[in-house]
Amino acid sequence: MSARSARRRITNAVFVGATALATFVALAALLLILWSLVSKGAGGLSGTIFTQDQPAPGSPGGLRNAIVGSLIMCGLGMAIALVVGILAGTWLSEYGGQSRYARAVRFLNDVLLSAPSILIGLFVYELMVAPFHGFSAYAGAVALAFLATPVVVRTTEDILTLQPGALREAGMALGASRAKVIRTIIWRGARAGIVTGGLLAFARISGETAPLLFTSLGNQYLNLDLSQPMAALPTTIFQFALSAFDDWRQLAWTGALLIAAAVLIINIVGRLLAREVSHK
Amino acid sequence: MSLADAELNEVPHLEHPPQDALALETRGLDFYYGKTQALHGVDLGIARGKITALIGPSGCGKSTLLRAMNRIYELYPNQRAEGEILLDGEDILSGQVNAADLRARVGMVFQKPTPFPMSIYDNVAFGVRLHGSTSKAELDAIVERSLRRAALWDEVEHKLGSSGLGLSGGQQQRLCVARGIAVEPEILLLDEPASALDPVSTAKLEDTLLQLKKDFTIVIVTHNLQQAARIADYTGFMFMGKLIEFAPTASIFSTPRLVRTRNYVTGRFG
Repeated sequence: MSARSARRRITNAVFVGATALATFVALAALLLILWSLVSKGAGGLSGTIFTQDQPAPGSPGGLRNAIVGSLIMCGLGMAIALVVGILAGTWLSEYGGQSRYARAVRFLNDVLLSAPSILIGLFVYELMVAPFHGFSAYAGAVALAFLATPVVVRTTEDILTLQPGALREAGMALGASRAKVIRTIIWRGARAGIVTGGLLAFARISGETAPLLFTSLGNQYLNLDLSQPMAALPTTIFQFALSAFDDWRQLAWTGALLIAAAVLIINIVGRLLAREVSHK
Repeated sequence: MSLADAELNEVPHLEHPPQDALALETRGLDFYYGKTQALHGVDLGIARGKITALIGPSGCGKSTLLRAMNRIYELYPNQRAEGEILLDGEDILSGQVNAADLRARVGMVFQKPTPFPMSIYDNVAFGVRLHGSTSKAELDAIVERSLRRAALWDEVEHKLGSSGLGLSGGQQQRLCVARGIAVEPEILLLDEPASALDPVSTAKLEDTLLQLKKDFTIVIVTHNLQQAARIADYTGFMFMGKLIEFAPTASIFSTPRLVRTRNYVTGRFG
């Protein structure tokens, strides 16, 4: 065997080894996080987590108010983000093209995509909390919508751009209008991608804390009035994790486990759904 | 005079079908992609109930000519056509003809199969549903008849509800033909419909087209000279944006009048 080929083998082995090690480090960190979540959070899991509201220190209780609040605000935020995001993404892909306005919108969307979430929180505070002299679930949902919308815009545009141009021509060649082609053919073909984008956005906002601190604030009671402050899992975790009480810290771990599990489930469902739709 | 000079000086030789046999006619058709002119004064007559093939080297404008006939180029803002395209005597470039109505009368099948992401049934019904309401029974009948005419019925009869994307390439292309004829157009345009198909699927598609010319006027752009020779009644040879020879297919292939045409159809194109 020549010296050169030996050197190549060694270079190759070193490189493969390095990438494997890096993969292991990344995976290990993830597993470590999951493990500490499960080991510290699972102990607190019980039916009362879902049926009782947050307790005073030293009393039994659950996280119902925070779970319900999170679901309401994330749901409303996503509803806003899906409508605005899908329409905006569609405009960018189908009508905007490379026009100056479209390029500006695309650039601003990218800026929004990477904007620190605490800035979004402050912005919505100025927009909806300060003028009405009160924190509210509406403001929380709007802040979350600001975070989710750019994700939906981006994924929608990307996935629609991937739809073949011949499909648009074929639809129009049958006499369909552009809008009809988009609604019945292009959106349909892109369904899996749009759903996946929506779920990714949902996963992203379900763990957001900073924007809610300035908007929905938090609430120790179960509240269904959207014009009032509302609890959410991340803000409750934030409050409990910093507290001096062991039982509150236990609840914080359990809440964190719930969020992680929810994000995991959302991602799995998203993948299954994407596969289901693309095979159909 | 050298051969090259002779070629350059050749005058187009156009033996069009008689005027009263024409389903569609272009007169002095120019076409532009932005500032680039792709068609130069094309005069072409398409005979009713016949298959007309357009052949020529890549970039000669044959697809452009086809795409002018249903104004599909209008999707792209920088493309435009000038001149006249007469469909049953009416100029479709005049601005008097609505694009949707035109495309219901002039259908199109593309190079790559373009099944919509929906069921086989919905694919075929798509155009019919666009152009007016039909009862379920009528629609069922139209779907069946279209699929039969496209020679696809026997293969999909029991899976009309499954996705059109699940069919083979050849089946998908026949599905697109079925979808195109379901709206009963007068003319069916095909842009290299067999270029993505294997020989067996190609033969099937050609059989289908030969059957269809009983009811439809067919214009096909093809790179495959044998295909043109096999199925077309008339053949037009295009070169650099001009239609330079047009005649019954047999004479284009056996006794081409122009040197360029002869070189091309005998494979000595240079």
